[in-house]
Amino acid sequence: MRMNQKFNVCLLGMAALALFGAGMARAEDQLDAETKARIDRFEKGPATIDVSKYPQGIQDNYETFSQKCTQCHKLSRPVNCDYVLPDEWSRYVKRMMHKPGSGIDSSDGKKIYEFLVYDSSVRKKAMLDDKLAKLSADDKAAAEAKIKEVHDKYDNK
Amino acid sequence: MSDELKSNTSQQSDAGPVAARSTMPIWIIVLTLLLLFLGAVYFDHHSGWFDKQVYSPYTSADQLALYQPKSGAVAAQARGRMVYEAACGVCHGSDGLGKPGQAPPLAGSEWVAKDVASLARIPLAGLNGPIRVAGKDWNLSMAPMGAGMSDADLAAVLTCIRGSWGNKYGDVSADEVKAAHAAINGNAPSAADLAKMTPVERGHAVYQKFGCAQCHGPDAKGGVPNPNAKTAEQIPSLIYVADGYTKGELINFIKRGERDIPRMNSTGPEPPHFMPQWGPIITDAELDDLAAYLLSLKPKEENPGF
Repeated sequence: MRMNQKFNVCLLGMAALALFGAGMARAEDQLDAETKARIDRFEKGPATIDVSKYPQGIQDNYETFSQKCTQCHKLSRPVNCDYVLPDEWSRYVKRMMHKPGSGIDSSDGKKIYEFLVYDSSVRKKAMLDDKLAKLSADDKAAAEAKIKEVHDKYDNK
Repeated sequence: MSDELKSNTSQQSDAGPVAARSTMPIWIIVLTLLLLFLGAVYFDHHSGWFDKQVYSPYTSADQLALYQPKSGAVAAQARGRMVYEAACGVCHGSDGLGKPGQAPPLAGSEWVAKDVASLARIPLAGLNGPIRVAGKDWNLSMAPMGAGMSDADLAAVLTCIRGSWGNKYGDVSADEVKAAHAAINGNAPSAADLAKMTPVERGHAVYQKFGCAQCHGPDAKGGVPNPNAKTAEQIPSLIYVADGYTKGELINFIKRGERDIPRMNSTGPEPPHFMPQWGPIITDAELDDLAAYLLSLKPKEENPGF
């Protein structure tokens, strides 16, 4: 009886290995869109941000952000993505805002933008500095001015 | 002696071989698994000993293309089929039966049987609004998917449609398509006109040529219904693209299209309209002008303040 069980386990193992072998040979012809892989990667990350240390105004904007953006996609997508520059956020927030039925008006859009710029300058600082360093002097100054504008509006209040 | 023999035989029968269980050595199990694994890999690599000429005779699409006829009726037929799959098949189906709520059938359609000028008008100018096909009413809109095709390609694809799925209406020549093209494009700007225009004006001509207005509206303000689309069940306006896209991002989006439109109700039906993949249809120079036109549409007075 014990021998029989062992033999069954053995057969199962062989079947699994055989399938695995055939699968390995097939795997190479699977190609997928780069963008899809990127989005998947972002969405696997954490879906919330600890905003307890942010100024009250930014914490309020976080509420708007998490409410509006989750109508269409997971919050982990913007939370973990590699956009950090004010221009990038401005463009993407406006792109989403102008979709019919988004329910995001200009004032909501601005709150979301300000939150994302603030958050990027704190939580994603390394990535931001990296991207800023690659900009031309003028673009860098403009981006830094926009970040400063948001900080001046909310810090120490 | 006989006693001895007796006792001997009895002793022998007592000590005879006995069947007993013993464990299978682990190395045999490992070896079997390994052989089986390698066998499966080998089997897969060698097409399972099916004749390679039958099972996988070519290693790439390019190699396959080398063996295809380069000219003549067979080549035209293959070309027509290829263009059909690229431009028409997504909606009208590889079987020409169409899709409910998305596109009427071409198989057995009385419109396919009409004269070439009338038939060619549909891919050249697009089609908007109610139409009766094979006894069923449809009310959709189709972009002029053939507007950017060469006359030869459009003739090939019309020949394919007129000669497939039980349709038997004869071939279409490039000259017939050329005549239909000329009749429709009477008001389209000539090459000399285009050269004198600004990129934005040329882009507007591209917008009209490829029938973007069929779905996005003549002034690009959107609003055409697209039931169960997440975007408030309508086709989006384009007047704010300058806010949300760089020129490069916009061109890439138009080239790629968007086949899967997110649904408002995830269990509801597929929205009938989607953004076609324009990359193979609109030339790069035209796309550049089109993007210039679209980026110019943003209302000047509006500024969201960020």
